[in-house]
Amino acid sequence: MLHWNLKRIAAIFLLLSILIVVLNFTGFSRNIKDFFFWLSSPVQKSFWQGGKNISDFLTSISKTGVLKKETENLRLENQELIGRIAGLIELEKENEVLREALALGLEEESELVLARVMNKDISQDSVLINKGGRDGVLNGMAVITEQKVILGRVGAVYDRFSEVVLISNKDSSFGARIPEREIDGIIRGKGSFGLSFDLIPREKEIFENDVVVTSVLGGVYPPGLLVGKVKAIKKSDVDPFQSAEIRPAFDIYSLDYLFIIVADG
Amino acid sequence: MIFIVWIIYLLSLLMAKKIIFFTVILYILILLQTSFLVHFSLSGFLPNFVLIAVIFVNLFSSSLKDKIISALIGGFYLDVFSLDSAGGFFGFYILIMLAIFLFLKIISEKYVRFPIIKKI
Repeated sequence: MLHWNLKRIAAIFLLLSILIVVLNFTGFSRNIKDFFFWLSSPVQKSFWQGGKNISDFLTSISKTGVLKKETENLRLENQELIGRIAGLIELEKENEVLREALALGLEEESELVLARVMNKDISQDSVLINKGGRDGVLNGMAVITEQKVILGRVGAVYDRFSEVVLISNKDSSFGARIPEREIDGIIRGKGSFGLSFDLIPREKEIFENDVVVTSVLGGVYPPGLLVGKVKAIKKSDVDPFQSAEIRPAFDIYSLDYLFIIVADG
Repeated sequence: MIFIVWIIYLLSLLMAKKIIFFTVILYILILLQTSFLVHFSLSGFLPNFVLIAVIFVNLFSSSLKDKIISALIGGFYLDVFSLDSAGGFFGFYILIMLAIFLFLKIISEKYVRFPIIKKI
């Protein structure tokens, strides 16, 4: 009985293997995925929103004390930033005058496509968004939030949907810098929303809460997009470089919308 | 919506009820897993509920049909909803699920006995 069943199972295995090879080589698997994403999108939208609301509610209950402290810190940070903005307004005026004098003209804004998160892969740091090839999305395009925080790049494009490989994905790496201290390095994804800032020269001084932005190095993302803040510094006497753990500036679960940069200004 | 209901009705006429049952249950599970439960993951960790469901059916069901159908449908859904930008290929999870089915079948038939627990 078992022997006969095994024969039948072996035949199923063989047939399935052939079917899988055909599906992958003809690219028909992409159509199947696109169809299922389309079919599930209304339910997934509701599930995502529902999960977000319940999660927010539970977080607000469990973290009341932490939130109080965080609000106080943010209030202080806000005051500091207001002071900096006042200084920057002056600089902006000066910059405008210089641009006019040099006849450069202001840089045009990038062309953006608005998208919504549909689901997240459970095994890796990738999300599905509701914009695809039909909307002009191409592989490798950068994806940001409305606060100009870098999220990742488009990893695969279907007709109506695309996959975004987050910067915290294990396969992701790109150039970044701490503009305040003019320190360059490489950001590497560690999975589960973890980031590490590597290849920082040993002699450079970095501190917790230093802001990290994308740099032109490597050319993966447009420069100047916010990556996150330094969380912990790792320095060893034997290594020629130091590294730092980064707290990402984005929280994928609290996002409603995100933007794909389809053309740079 | 009418189209979907019509397809489900047609499938129920053509196929066995169990296929419909597993198709619907595993579909709801995969949607919950990828869109709802991801918000409640602990440090990015979330159990694979479809995989757990398939293993559960393979361990406790006595019907060979149930076991293989759940493995195939579960694997198919995991393939569809696993984002393949990391370079994976479509069908990976179907093969994994079938391998799990085969492994559990051989182990349970040859080496495991349940003297007290009666099989469902």
